[in-house]
Amino acid sequence: MTKESKYKFSNIIKIPAFLGIIIGFFAALIQALIISAGGPEAYGFCVACHTRDLVNGFFNAFTGDSLGLAPISAVTPVLTIIGVIIGGYVAATRNKEFKIKKAKPLIYFLYFLGGIAVLNFALLLGACPYRAALRFAYGDFVALIGIISIAGGVALGVLILLFITKRRGFK
Amino acid sequence: MADGFLTASTAIIIIPLLTLALGTLIGYMAQRSGFCSIGGMRDLMMFKHTRLFFGYLALIGGGFLGYFLFWIIIPSAFPNFFWPLTQSNPLTPIPGAPGGLSIISYVILAIIGGFGMGLIGVLLGGCPLRQIIMGTEGNLRSIFFILGLAVGAIIFHAWVIKLVVMILP
Repeated sequence: MTKESKYKFSNIIKIPAFLGIIIGFFAALIQALIISAGGPEAYGFCVACHTRDLVNGFFNAFTGDSLGLAPISAVTPVLTIIGVIIGGYVAATRNKEFKIKKAKPLIYFLYFLGGIAVLNFALLLGACPYRAALRFAYGDFVALIGIISIAGGVALGVLILLFITKRRGFK
Repeated sequence: MADGFLTASTAIIIIPLLTLALGTLIGYMAQRSGFCSIGGMRDLMMFKHTRLFFGYLALIGGGFLGYFLFWIIIPSAFPNFFWPLTQSNPLTPIPGAPGGLSIISYVILAIIGGFGMGLIGVLLGGCPLRQIIMGTEGNLRSIFFILGLAVGAIIFHAWVIKLVVMILP
C-alpha cells in the first residue's frame, strides 16, 4: 500500500477508531437536538434502545397497548436502526460482499433466543455497549460499571471459546 | 424541559430524518470497518489485537469531545453533563432511568445486564450492531438474531421490567 492510497477516504473508513469518533461526535449533536423534544440524556445512538423504541412504537400503534418507550419516542420515531440496515446493505452490495449464508434451523433458533436475551440484558443495564460508552462519556459511573461487567462477561465467554476450540483440537 | 438547538415542534419533524441519516452513515462505515464493541474486547483478550478495541475507546473519547464542544456552544442542551460532580453519591444514574429504583438496584442491574450481554455477545460472535451488519451482509443467523431483538423488546416491557420493579427495592 503506497502512502497516498493509505489516506484515501475508502481506506480511512475502514479504521474502527475513525468510526468511533464519528459516532461519538454525531451522537452528541443528535443529543443536543432531541433534548428539546423530551428525550433522555446521552441518547444519541443506541442499538438496543432505538430498536426497542421502534418496535414498541409500532406495537403500540397497532394494538393500542402502552408498552414502555423513551420520552422522545412517544412524540416522534427514531429511525436509527432502519438507517443502519440500509447503510449496511448498501455498503455490502456496493463492495460485493453480500452473500446469503445459511445455517441449521437449530442455530437460527439459538440466535433468536440470543437476540431476546441480549436485548433484555441490555435494557436491564439501560444501554447497549454503545450507549454505555456514550453514558460514560456523559459522566455516568453506573455505565462504567456496566462496561466493566461487559468485559467480565466477555472474559468468561473467551474462556469458554478457548475451552471449546481446545477440545475440538483446533490450533 | 431543557432547551436544545431546536424548538420541540421542529425537533419532532427533524429527528426521524436526522437519525435515519446518522444510522445510514454508521451502518455504511460499520460494514466497511467491522466495528464491534464486544468483538473489540474479545480480540484484545484472545489475540491481543487492539484494532477494534481502539474503536470502542475512540467512541468514548469522541462522545466526550462532542458533548464538551456542544456543551460550550449551548449548555442548556446538556443539563446534567458532569453529573457525578454535582451529586453526593457519584453512582447516582443520570435522570431518565426507568422504574424509580434505589441506587444499589441500578448497580446490580448494570452488573447483571453487562455480564449477560458480554457473555452471550461473545458466544454468538458480536454485539447487537455487528449482528445487524452481518444480517445486512446476508447472514441469515444474524437476521434471526435481529428478530429476537424485536421480540425481546416486547417481552422486556410486557413482563421483565414489571418483575424487576417487583423484586428490587
